[in-house]
Amino acid sequence: MTIRQRFTYDSVAITGSIIGLLSIPLGWLTLKPNRLAAGTSLTMWESFGAEGTAIITALWLVCLGLSLFGKKRWHVISLGIVLNLIFIITFVLAGANASRLLANEASFARVSLSAGIWITSLGAYISIFSCRQGLGNSLAWQNLISWSGLAILAILLGVGWLNNLSVVTEFIEQEARFRQELANHVVLFTSSVVAGALLGIPLGMWATRSRHAEKPIFFIANILQTVPSLALFGLLIAPLSALSFAFPALREWGIRGIGTAPAIIALVLYSLLPIVRNTYVGLTQLDPAIIDAGLGMGMNRSQVFRRIELPLSAPLVLEGLRTASVQAVGNATVAALIGAGGLGWFIFQGIGQAANDVVILGALPIIGLALVVDTTMRLVVKVATPKGMRVR
Amino acid sequence: MIRLEHVTKKYGDVIAVNDFSLEVSRGEVCVLIGPSGCGKTTTLRMINRLIEPTSGRIFVNGDDISQIKPERLRQSIGYAIQSVGLFPHMTVAANIAVVPELLGWRKERIARRTEELLRLVGLNPKEYAGKYVSQLSGGEAQRIGVARALAADPPLLLMDEPFGAVDPLTRQRLQTQFVRIQQELKKTIILVTHDLDEAIRMADRIAIMQAGRLVQYDTPEVILSKPANKFVLDFVGTDRALKRLSRIGIGKFVKPAPSVKADASIREVMLAIGGCHSVWVLDEDDRPIGWIDAASIHKEATVGELIVRGDTDEISVVNYATLRDALSRMLGLGFKCIPVVDERKRFIGEITLGDVEAATVEVEENHA
Repeated sequence: MTIRQRFTYDSVAITGSIIGLLSIPLGWLTLKPNRLAAGTSLTMWESFGAEGTAIITALWLVCLGLSLFGKKRWHVISLGIVLNLIFIITFVLAGANASRLLANEASFARVSLSAGIWITSLGAYISIFSCRQGLGNSLAWQNLISWSGLAILAILLGVGWLNNLSVVTEFIEQEARFRQELANHVVLFTSSVVAGALLGIPLGMWATRSRHAEKPIFFIANILQTVPSLALFGLLIAPLSALSFAFPALREWGIRGIGTAPAIIALVLYSLLPIVRNTYVGLTQLDPAIIDAGLGMGMNRSQVFRRIELPLSAPLVLEGLRTASVQAVGNATVAALIGAGGLGWFIFQGIGQAANDVVILGALPIIGLALVVDTTMRLVVKVATPKGMRVR
Repeated sequence: MIRLEHVTKKYGDVIAVNDFSLEVSRGEVCVLIGPSGCGKTTTLRMINRLIEPTSGRIFVNGDDISQIKPERLRQSIGYAIQSVGLFPHMTVAANIAVVPELLGWRKERIARRTEELLRLVGLNPKEYAGKYVSQLSGGEAQRIGVARALAADPPLLLMDEPFGAVDPLTRQRLQTQFVRIQQELKKTIILVTHDLDEAIRMADRIAIMQAGRLVQYDTPEVILSKPANKFVLDFVGTDRALKRLSRIGIGKFVKPAPSVKADASIREVMLAIGGCHSVWVLDEDDRPIGWIDAASIHKEATVGELIVRGDTDEISVVNYATLRDALSRMLGLGFKCIPVVDERKRFIGEITLGDVEAATVEVEENHA
């Protein structure tokens, strides 16, 4: 047993630590004369100074050591703490040194985060993910280690410590626009998923009840899923503008070739397949003997549906909604191209202007949004799973 | 109690049940049996209107069931099926409570009934009421299935291979338990099976079906001794005499036999054995653990040396077993007699090959 313990190591955390160590020779901050120029990449030494470089390098070496020697509880916890420290120190130093670097420059100059910081963050969160798995028995430590780094980052943003980083500067300059596009994005994906559910769940139920309906429903849903999203948005422009041209009254409802209406229609069509498929599987996977027993004991059709089919298929149907929601958060990005707005607007704006920080300003919140939606929906699925099916 | 009159069920051109008539009296167990596809399950499902007959009429208690609302009819008939069909999202108690709830019973009454039923099928209510289906063994699930069918105390029970999905040993235990429950409750039961031994063990009357038709409908004894035609003869097989033995419990054939404790002295053994050929040796809990042959006894030997040891479960039969079980056990062991134990494996006597032989002759004479 002692021999086994000495040789247990955490391969995922090792990978994370190596990624972290590899980030050290990269550029950490970029100093640019203005927001669009290429700028010069600064090494860690030039960015954070000797002390900063020493601290971060040392901490990464500690992480590698901890993940190499043992998976005991205290190993995992201290590894998690050190990883969060790396993440926090990196951003504290980035904020401080951005201000230091800009002090000697003209007012148009910007400091951006460079590859080194992104990759160190990536390495830290790969290892944190592994720690989270290792602490499966303690929810408190799990959450502390998963969220404390991000919470401190949020505080740093809140108090203005990071205001001299270019991404944050972009945010401050376009805050009103950001809020508006964030709201647009949320409206786009929630309304399309709600509409997708209202359409997809009955379709899925219909497919289980009627053999004639089953094939065409899945045929269409599958085809829709394979059309690239941009193409689907494009394909809708012609028929919808024809429609609004023929019936001008529709224009008051926002039905036009471009804008929110076609975007939502396309997103609804995309969300259909996971919702229809999971509803169908949720209902057909039920043991026919259970339905037979229900009917045989004297339940009527609606009692069988409410008391048996609904509670037993709910987890899978909601799982389909989860897939559809996460997918819709991503797909809604493209909606910016047909004038529906959303966080994609920043991405395409940034690409157009070759301003990477604007791209990041759009991309990071989309990732965050997808994670939040995913976590929330997982919770909903868990709550909706009947207790008898959780006990194994 | 139940009467089927010229019932026919067609699926397109396929005739599943063909001009089928049958009457089952109150308190009887009628077993529908036949090769798969003979229409036995279809017949059963027509009685609670899960399937509607193409023609013919079915009466329950003299009422034509086509005039009764299907849901009402089904709530008044117990229904147990092979795959049990317990609802996995409900506790055992909630599963049993389904029909009483549909009938609008009060909560206290349902709780009392649930407890009563769990006791009846031999499960501890405190332990099992709150369990989920995924926490039950196959045998437990089938017992709950039977309890659920009995929940609203229906006079009529329909069972489709209710013990089909468990291993043969558990099945035999469940059958024995069910026969005992039935002796107490006296329900009218229609049971579908393809297992002839199960039919013989449980039925008051057996209905043998072939290709949708009723071939023979009679008591197991008559079916075994006078098969109506070649089909029935082939179906019941060549070991009919042996099968008849499985209708007879060993209870009334058990007689006292000499026994000693394992720690007895040689004198006590000689005293106990009297004129017999052998004596059964029991452990401190009265369980048979071997025997001593009269021929092997001599004054210098110790009791420990003389005991021929065996495992209690292997060398004895339980008192609710059938003559067939006892016979096959004796033949398997090469014994002329075998100890009989009660449910807690305590020695109560023995049964001999001679008794089995006498019983066979008696059965032959009764049905000759």
